[in-house]
Amino acid sequence: MAELKTEEFVVNMGPHHPSTHGVCRFVLTMDGEVIVKVEPVIGYLHRALEKICENRTYAQCIPVLDRFEYCTSMSCNQVFALATEKLAGIEVPERAEYIRVIMLELNRIASHLIWLGTTSLDLGALTPFLYAFREREDIMDLFEMTCGQRLTYNYIRVGGVAKDIPKEFIPKAKQFLSTFDSKVDDYEKVLTENPIFMTRNQNIGVMSPELAIAYGVSGPNLRASGVKFDLRRDDPYSIYDRFKFNIPTGQNGDCYDRYRVRMQEMRESAKIVRQAIEQLPEGEISAKFNPIVFKAPAGELYSRIENSRGEMGVYLQSRDKEKKPLRVKLRGSSYNHLQAMPHLLKGHKIADVVAVMASLDIIMPDVDR
Amino acid sequence: MEITGIFEYLYELLIGTGLPQVWVDIIAYAFAAVVVFGFLCIVALFLVWLERKASAHFQQRLGPMRTGWHGWRQTVHDAIKLLRKEDITPYAVDRNVFYWAPIICFVAAFMAYLVIPFGDGLIVSDLNIGILFILGITTFTIISLLMAGWGSNNKYALLGGMRSAAQVVSYEVPMVVSILAVIVFVGSLSMVDIVQSQAKIYQWYVFRMPFGPIAFITYIIAATAETNRTPFDIPEAEQELVAGFNVEYSGMKFAMFFLAEFVNMFTVSAIGATLFLGGWQGPWLPSWMWFMGKTLFLVCILMWFRWTYPRLRVDHLMEFSWKFLIPVAFVNLILAGFMKYSGWFNW
Amino acid sequence: MNREELAKYLLDKFPDTLELLETGKAEPFFLMKKPDEIVEFCRAIRDDVELRMDFLCQMCGVDTGENFEVVYSVASVKKRYRFDFKFPLPYEGAEIESVQTVWPGANWFERETWELYGINVKNHGNLTRFLLPDDWDQGFPMRKDWDAPDFKRMPEV
Repeated sequence: MAELKTEEFVVNMGPHHPSTHGVCRFVLTMDGEVIVKVEPVIGYLHRALEKICENRTYAQCIPVLDRFEYCTSMSCNQVFALATEKLAGIEVPERAEYIRVIMLELNRIASHLIWLGTTSLDLGALTPFLYAFREREDIMDLFEMTCGQRLTYNYIRVGGVAKDIPKEFIPKAKQFLSTFDSKVDDYEKVLTENPIFMTRNQNIGVMSPELAIAYGVSGPNLRASGVKFDLRRDDPYSIYDRFKFNIPTGQNGDCYDRYRVRMQEMRESAKIVRQAIEQLPEGEISAKFNPIVFKAPAGELYSRIENSRGEMGVYLQSRDKEKKPLRVKLRGSSYNHLQAMPHLLKGHKIADVVAVMASLDIIMPDVDR
Repeated sequence: MEITGIFEYLYELLIGTGLPQVWVDIIAYAFAAVVVFGFLCIVALFLVWLERKASAHFQQRLGPMRTGWHGWRQTVHDAIKLLRKEDITPYAVDRNVFYWAPIICFVAAFMAYLVIPFGDGLIVSDLNIGILFILGITTFTIISLLMAGWGSNNKYALLGGMRSAAQVVSYEVPMVVSILAVIVFVGSLSMVDIVQSQAKIYQWYVFRMPFGPIAFITYIIAATAETNRTPFDIPEAEQELVAGFNVEYSGMKFAMFFLAEFVNMFTVSAIGATLFLGGWQGPWLPSWMWFMGKTLFLVCILMWFRWTYPRLRVDHLMEFSWKFLIPVAFVNLILAGFMKYSGWFNW
Repeated sequence: MNREELAKYLLDKFPDTLELLETGKAEPFFLMKKPDEIVEFCRAIRDDVELRMDFLCQMCGVDTGENFEVVYSVASVKKRYRFDFKFPLPYEGAEIESVQTVWPGANWFERETWELYGINVKNHGNLTRFLLPDDWDQGFPMRKDWDAPDFKRMPEV
């Protein structure tokens, strides 16, 4: 009896594809339905943000970096403002710090809602996408009334924030938060106990803690693998040490744990916003910082914050008395996650590529800059 | 005049013209088939509109609102657009196979309606092998899926076609076996006999415990998989292989696949209503209204599934069918046979 | 250990290799004086029982106008330490050793540094086009003397 001859074939997924989050291309080598090798090809969204920043003053860099990871634009502003403030020794007033925390956590919730919508869309449950975006509209309204923008805010500036929050902000935020927890429970009802959802996500894309740390994976992905590491707790920046919040972790490091961790994180962020609103003091909203004549001292540093996707960092180097930075290196979290992704997909099926990429919450502007 | 009365009137008219009997029969039945075909086209358009509105309301939005009252004309406009679209045939396709695949799909979808009773006496032809005829015809769809996948000369289409063929074949078995459980009780394959054995509401097969509900649920699950609807819509999963087997089709050919899917959905709901929910039986209202109501009820349940559940992966799908549904369906069949033989529950 | 103790510990452990820089404004920032032994150094700080620097935050190249520099930022997940180190490279024949055997995550960082600066990476295995288009032949964009053909300098504020 002759042996049936089989051979592997190469399938190209993307860059135009409904469920690669952004433009990303995967070259999949498959043996039937089983994946043998995954090679991501990136660079479709490369906008040379780092080179652009070298030709901008420190204040002009902030709107450029809005576009670095546009789903969490506040965090991009924050990490650069933090780096510049540490470089020049600028102290941010209390009220500005509290407003920053409120905005950052609301942005984290908005980003997780995008993740929730697109993940369930990729798995075929077409309805939670619209529910998640309905909640996100409330957050967008809050941001729009403060800084006039819905996606790229340019709000957290060096030294503080751009404008004070209007008086309608607090009541509207409180109204949003009062119903938010029950809405998160609604989403959990649709997806968490659903046997189809569980079969698609459990034991898929299992990431061991050693693999995660070796590849520089951070954020909810690392926490779902069992490593309790959150930069807001372990390397505190801004005023996060004044708030009480839990850090959810998972056990197995599969897609289902990553889902559970992010759902719980949405609740924790809502808790932080409630506490910040209560503790909000009066005062200045910005330190004395002249964006036009600011000259940074010589120095270099790498500053990092906990973005909704993981660790976002900026390496800043400046020469003495220069208006423009010498080097701005942007470290995005999805870069490392995408690097680790092929190692999670060995032996899985092609449908799992979509599930794993969605659960790792990879978006391409983070990767390509 | 009743609907059946129109048909008899025309039949008398034709006989009166003095044509030979065989010609009268051919013309009469052709007329009935055309009427059914026209009715089904309207039903397909209605179902597309219903799907859009149902999905919109599940997702807290409104759906089409501008083309007529609540957008009822939307599908008409879409149909006109599809008719006028450029029909692109890629250069390297296998011409005959590519061309005939949507036609076979479409024809198979419509031929099942020759034996479906739309009401009391409203059936084109009461074959005494009614349900067997339907099961045979709906199997033609598999061939058209494979033809579409192969003829497109495209890796993705081929993968999609093979998967959907595997899926449909796997779910044929539980569908047939669950139908068999009902047939065992009826004792006849004719659709009219099946409905007439459910004269009272407690005689509906969905209520005949314990095999009725199990057969009904198995049938609904298998029917969802037969028509390639979520949660079993891997062949058309946009998020994975970009439309699967019909990726190379455009214009009218695509419209044929699309309409055939909706007509199939109506077919399986109609069979479900006939076999399990009592067909056209019901008090006060005309029989065709009962039939349409019950069928649309099942159609709405199928639509509800689509907008709630995520998608099953292809190996889970096969596992579910072969390792769970088929054993359950067979045990159910044995149970039904036992109940019939022993005379229990034989009201 | 806080920052001063961490700096002192590192300077004691690697007296000839590290030199503390004053320009480091946040965490301890070191100049590494022996670029040829980068792999051994990285392995030592990763395996050291006190330090456990197992997380490579980032690795990048810098063009200071006079020479290249390569910067590494490392962190420890368990012990929560963080420091950075860098070493200079001349423009001609800039070469570094790949540290992906120590931290596999360095692979893409090194590939990007090669592609944008032209710093060659030995033992990398996959120095191919990454962020730039596949048919790019216009040099190394992040160097200070490189400008895009249609680049116009913005007016000074």
